[in-house]
Amino acid sequence: MPEVLIQYQTEIWRSIGETFIMVGVSILAAVLVGLPLGTWLYLSRKGQLLENRAVFSVLNLVVNIVRSFPFLLLVVFLIPFTRLIIGTAIGTAAATVPLAIIAIAHYSRLVEQSLLDVPRGVVEAAVSMGASIKDVIFKFLYVEARSGLVLGLTTSIISFISYSTIMGVVGGGGIGDFAIRYGYQQFKTELMMYMIFIMLLFVQMIQFTGTTVARLIDKR
Amino acid sequence: MITLTNVRKQFGRDIAVQDVSLHVERGEIYGIIGASGAGKSTVLRLMNLLETPDAGTVEIDGALLTSLSTKQLRAKRHVIGMIFQQFNLVANKTVFENVVAPLRLAGRPRATHEERVLECLRFVGLEAFKDKYPAQLSGGQKQRVAIARALANEPHVLLCDEPTSSLDPNTTAEVLGVLKSINERLGVTIVIVTHEMDVIKQVCDRVTVMADGSVYETIDLVPSGVPAIDNNPAWFVDQLKKAGEADA
Ligand SMILES: Nc1ncnc2c1ncn2[C@@H]1O[C@H](COP(=O)(O)OP(=O)(O)O)[C@@H](O)[C@H]1O
Ligand SMILES: [Mg+2]
Repeated sequence: MPEVLIQYQTEIWRSIGETFIMVGVSILAAVLVGLPLGTWLYLSRKGQLLENRAVFSVLNLVVNIVRSFPFLLLVVFLIPFTRLIIGTAIGTAAATVPLAIIAIAHYSRLVEQSLLDVPRGVVEAAVSMGASIKDVIFKFLYVEARSGLVLGLTTSIISFISYSTIMGVVGGGGIGDFAIRYGYQQFKTELMMYMIFIMLLFVQMIQFTGTTVARLIDKR
Repeated sequence: MITLTNVRKQFGRDIAVQDVSLHVERGEIYGIIGASGAGKSTVLRLMNLLETPDAGTVEIDGALLTSLSTKQLRAKRHVIGMIFQQFNLVANKTVFENVVAPLRLAGRPRATHEERVLECLRFVGLEAFKDKYPAQLSGGQKQRVAIARALANEPHVLLCDEPTSSLDPNTTAEVLGVLKSINERLGVTIVIVTHEMDVIKQVCDRVTVMADGSVYETIDLVPSGVPAIDNNPAWFVDQLKKAGEADA
């Protein structure tokens, strides 16, 4: 084990923990809110089961706005909101707020895209069999789109890791922040490289797992 | 069994179906034929309210569909089977899972599912394929799975939208044979929409010719029956020679 890693191991473990919290909350937000939101986006589109122009336009606009914000500006812009719900705008917990919001917007768009790939006829067959909207979603759409949903989540998670690296600006910590503060600003290039390597390892693992799972569950 | 009264359907400014009235008797095989864009599929989709008519009423199997609540309509759809040109099976479900889906939707007792699915698959001759995925099947086999799925809840009516239009002649005969025996052995009323003249001639008791969204004419037929076919190369040669003679 290289000496710098031993010397800084407490900080490194802490920063890995912070990254896990930030990315973990992002994933939760993506699945619990982004998935339903993306499904609603899809269903409210023209020609779909819950077609509603007003609803679609509003959801579409909100998702676009959040996604087109330079992320750093979004973080700053959300400070009052973060303070309102977390009580402070500084720290790892506070950092999860803008991350959760971008995560929801990011994944909901990918969910919408995956659902659009489901042949329209499959939904039609479901409706002809007397399926309710809920049945259509859970027994047909999600079943048919499942590998796209998994691949989308994989892409999203990797983006979340990337977003989490700049949360140092609001004291969120994490591996990226550690690499910048210790590695870059204190000229410990070796340490910085190790941190980048750790991130790379995570990204590789996530991508590999996502791709493998998506392939295994795809019977199309 | 099915009565459409003055139904009209418009998509934006295009009128797809105007003022169509027709009646399908219990137990018959009823054809609807016409050029592409004539409104055949729309008429069929009006029969189970996949399309809601802008005017007119739809009555099927003793229920006035156009006056039912969403929930009542869903219940009614459980006993109206439908099959499609593109089969529309769930590709990520096995043959068994595809066929069991309507039983679950209809809330049939779980204990009866397996037996019923196997019974339906046996009817279409695909019991041995229950654990395969649709991607592993031929077009004709996929359509037979779709038929088994449509039969699961013991429907009184089976609506077919171009059921053989993406199949080759042999598989067409195979699928028509299955439809014919569903009609004869199970007493299911069948409506077939197609642009293929042979399909109508072989199995339909009555046919409506549609043009420009309206009924052009309805005529009685004596179905000629589904021709026996096989995959023997000699059969192909035979057919080709026959066609040549007919042209000469
Ligand atoms: N969902 C739809 N949206 C817009 N136009 C449609 C839709 N479905 C059908 N149409 C139009 O209605 C007309 C009749 O279509 P259809 O019933 O599919 O004809 P057919 O099955 O005889 O080929 C066509 O002009 C078609 O373009
Ligand atoms: Mg058609």
